[in-house]
Amino acid sequence: MNKAKLRTTLTPYLFLAVPVIIYMIWVIGPMFYSFYLSLTKWDGFSAPQFIGLANFRRLITDPVFYTSLWNNLEWIAVFMTIPIVMGLFIAMSLNRDIPGSKFFKACFFAPMVLSLVVSGLVWSWLYNPGSGLINTVLRQVGLGDLARGWLSEPEVVMEAVITVAVWRQVGYVMVLYLAGLQSIDRNLIDASHVDGANAVQRFFNVILPQLAPVTVVVIVISIIDSLRAFDLVSVMTRGGPFNSSSVLANYMYIQAFNNYRMGYGAAISVVLFMISAAFIVFYLTRIVREETNG
Amino acid sequence: MADTRSFSPTMRAVLFALISILVLIWLVPLVVAFITSFRTNEDILTNGFLALPETISLQSFADAWSRGNLDIYLPNSFIITIPSLFGTLALSSLAAYALARFKFKGRLAFYFLFVGGTMLPFQILLLPVFRLSDALGIYDTYSAVIAIHIAFQLGFCTFVLRNYMMTVPIQLMESAVLDGASELRIWWSIMIPLTVPAFAAVATLEFTWIFNDYLWALILIRSSGKMPVTTGLAILQGQYVQDWTVIISGALMATIPTLFVFVFLQRYFIAGLTLGSSK
Amino acid sequence: MSRALRLFTPLLAVFVLLAVFVPNDLAAGGQGEAAAEGEEGSSIVIYNSYMSDPEPREFDAEVVEQFNEQNPDAEIVHSTVAHEDFKQAIRAYLTSSTPPDVMTWFAGNRARFFIDRGLIMDISDLWEEQGWNEDYPKGFQAMSTVDGNQYFLPTNYYWWAIYYNTEVFEEYDIEVPETWDELMDVAEELKSNGVTPFTVGTKYRWTAAAWFDYLNMRVNGPEFHIDLMLGKESYTDERVKTVFNDYWAPLIENDYFIEDPASYAWAEAIPFMNNGEAAMYLMGDFIRDSYPEEDVEKLDFFRFPIIDPDVPVGEDAPTDGYLMAADAQHAELGKELLAYFGSEEVQTKMAEDLGRLVTNNNVPDDVYNENQIKGRRLLDGADYVAQFYDRDTTPEMADAGMDGFMEFWSDPTPEKTDEVLQELEETRQRLFEEDEEE
Repeated sequence: MNKAKLRTTLTPYLFLAVPVIIYMIWVIGPMFYSFYLSLTKWDGFSAPQFIGLANFRRLITDPVFYTSLWNNLEWIAVFMTIPIVMGLFIAMSLNRDIPGSKFFKACFFAPMVLSLVVSGLVWSWLYNPGSGLINTVLRQVGLGDLARGWLSEPEVVMEAVITVAVWRQVGYVMVLYLAGLQSIDRNLIDASHVDGANAVQRFFNVILPQLAPVTVVVIVISIIDSLRAFDLVSVMTRGGPFNSSSVLANYMYIQAFNNYRMGYGAAISVVLFMISAAFIVFYLTRIVREETNG
Repeated sequence: MADTRSFSPTMRAVLFALISILVLIWLVPLVVAFITSFRTNEDILTNGFLALPETISLQSFADAWSRGNLDIYLPNSFIITIPSLFGTLALSSLAAYALARFKFKGRLAFYFLFVGGTMLPFQILLLPVFRLSDALGIYDTYSAVIAIHIAFQLGFCTFVLRNYMMTVPIQLMESAVLDGASELRIWWSIMIPLTVPAFAAVATLEFTWIFNDYLWALILIRSSGKMPVTTGLAILQGQYVQDWTVIISGALMATIPTLFVFVFLQRYFIAGLTLGSSK
Repeated sequence: MSRALRLFTPLLAVFVLLAVFVPNDLAAGGQGEAAAEGEEGSSIVIYNSYMSDPEPREFDAEVVEQFNEQNPDAEIVHSTVAHEDFKQAIRAYLTSSTPPDVMTWFAGNRARFFIDRGLIMDISDLWEEQGWNEDYPKGFQAMSTVDGNQYFLPTNYYWWAIYYNTEVFEEYDIEVPETWDELMDVAEELKSNGVTPFTVGTKYRWTAAAWFDYLNMRVNGPEFHIDLMLGKESYTDERVKTVFNDYWAPLIENDYFIEDPASYAWAEAIPFMNNGEAAMYLMGDFIRDSYPEEDVEKLDFFRFPIIDPDVPVGEDAPTDGYLMAADAQHAELGKELLAYFGSEEVQTKMAEDLGRLVTNNNVPDDVYNENQIKGRRLLDGADYVAQFYDRDTTPEMADAGMDGFMEFWSDPTPEKTDEVLQELEETRQRLFEEDEEE
């Protein structure tokens, strides 16, 4: 191998060296360590005790685990639809010169500026059954029957929490699509005008395909965010009432840090990771296919 | 820009109305938070949520500032956030460049590594990383928190930056290679300027995330003197659960830096976008 | 080798430095402490506290300052962490190589958990030296002792009782109830006048646990209650079912509680009481700190009524105090600080400033105000003093138990009760049998 060749072969690895080393030490290493922990019983203090798959066996009989899993799936389902459709719609609308579009963009993005904790606090207050804004307004307009304990009734609590997440997510998706729309090829749009395509056709045939890379990013982010959901639940309900709004990340945290069951907590996070991994594999095969084709 | 001519004036008016309504809904929680912070808790409890404020008071801001010790915690948040942000952006742009620019063995494996790590709920890493930091002797230092922020955010940043870098035409780099530029030079003077919008977007998000972190600081820092502003907020929430005005005032104050970053980067962001579209 | 590589090497070094070391130099101020720690270990003491609410925090700061005045050479690194989060952070504290020397903590099972794992320093010598073996009541000594050695310093405690709005009681000419039947009469009377008998905010669940503690102790006696807490009795025992079906469920079914209690944090439920919509709240004395100042004089309390006069009287009186890390690096000064916390001087201050009851016998009774005297009398009349549900049982059992109480509360039928208790029983068996294996 000559020098020049060696250099080109080595270059990507040199670029990757520092980030990968740091990533391995702080993230991947601890991650594998927690995989190992999922096979142990560990209180976080004494030495971990290897117990094989016992944690997982317990997991499949644990009703709270299923509730949490179901809630995560609901979260994903909502995130894959409402914020994406709304975010794209808003981005498309604000991408033209509507008066005040800059202001509008800022407004939709504003919730993102607030942290999840702050958002959770503000909304908890809107949801307050006695003096909160939502029930107060419902009662004022004669819809008092709809007023309820938004965060205390198992039937609605999850939806109430996800609403807050959607409120934040829409602006995020909007920004990503706005950025994506900037890079759209004007010539194709002009060409479609020449071809006499109407707005709807143009949207589905010209714009949407060009936004595909952004859409992939949006979808991946939506899934990650849904699976990692933690702060809103922890601030607004702590998983209550009786675990009906629990999600896997919170359940894991409670088991590991409140109940001193690190091993069991680790097992929950392994499941969470597996679900995520299924999505990544799906995403990666897509990439591989694209690259072998193109 | 993309599509100005396609809609009739009526359609545009309808669209405008629709967006306006949405914006109003979107603003309600923010407005409520803002108004709340200027009221007193007693006023809210006695007159209710919808009543006009009896008095406008800055007292809750003062209370939040002093009870939450924000004067100590706020600077710490910057000491933690700024190096974390720059560290993670610098490192992830290197990794993203490698993944977007070169075809090499293990390319997808590395990509999977970065994306995979972001899929894990970070809370499970708390104790292992605490052990690691303790073993490295950086427990209870800013470095411990900065190191994990840099490392943990690498995954997401690399993912986003790599995707943007993929859209940069390869010819630009090929011609630079022909001109004799080194890869490092191409990375610095071609790739980075072309991906400024992506950097701006990622930096905004990362700033909010890192700035608002609480759990890492809680586990990796022992001394009050080094804790970030979220600690102060937690203290305010403590048993003051009922004093909404103070909590919300504190929360708003802690949000101001993020707001600035957003406003500042948004300008950058737009400049970057025009630069990107002229390619 | 190549130019690229030559460029990379310094870059790599810079990034590594950036990631790990630079920020510490940036914050040279914060590092002074670490330097001092290394050089003269004895003149420093690290103290982490969960006293994060305004009044306790002020007290905490003042005490530390006073200690500093008496020990001008000592540097006290005092950190305050939000009460709830301290419970998680202490895991890191106790296992780090530089743990805080002195920490606030809870007596009972919660301290025992750490003591059993060898994480807490044996401070028997301090107990001996300070004469605490004479100055502290036997109960508190026992609370701090494991296998004949002392690991804990209990300093203060408070009582639980039914608090009520005196104005409302006066308005309807209601007398303070002493027995269960009387309490039910009071509740009915209030309800017929449009006043909800009890307010409660169960968002964080432990307020519901208080009801269980008291009903179970009053119906089945404290001995049975503690055995249940320790996993020695079954949750499906008929005696437990009686508590739920015959006492707790009727309260809920008769609408004796405010609507939607699960929506409110405990303190958020206070307004119902001080504005007269509701009349009573089963709560710890810390309710006083959160009660609106202008109404606090209309707040009084009475002992949770007696259900079965043949059963010994148990009360909840959670005790707080301090402990030291087994690996404390500044043990000597740490012990001095601890000795100061346990001294008559600080205990007197605590009684005066925070309205708590304190443990040191030497503290003169006249430091107590009327409220404290009444609270102490209430506890003096008890045959047994428990800590509290989530302090008397293990953390995971408490977690499952409180969820169960909430589930029961949402649907207090006998069928649901059976289901909930069956689940709790399964959890109990799993937890306590597992622990026996160890």
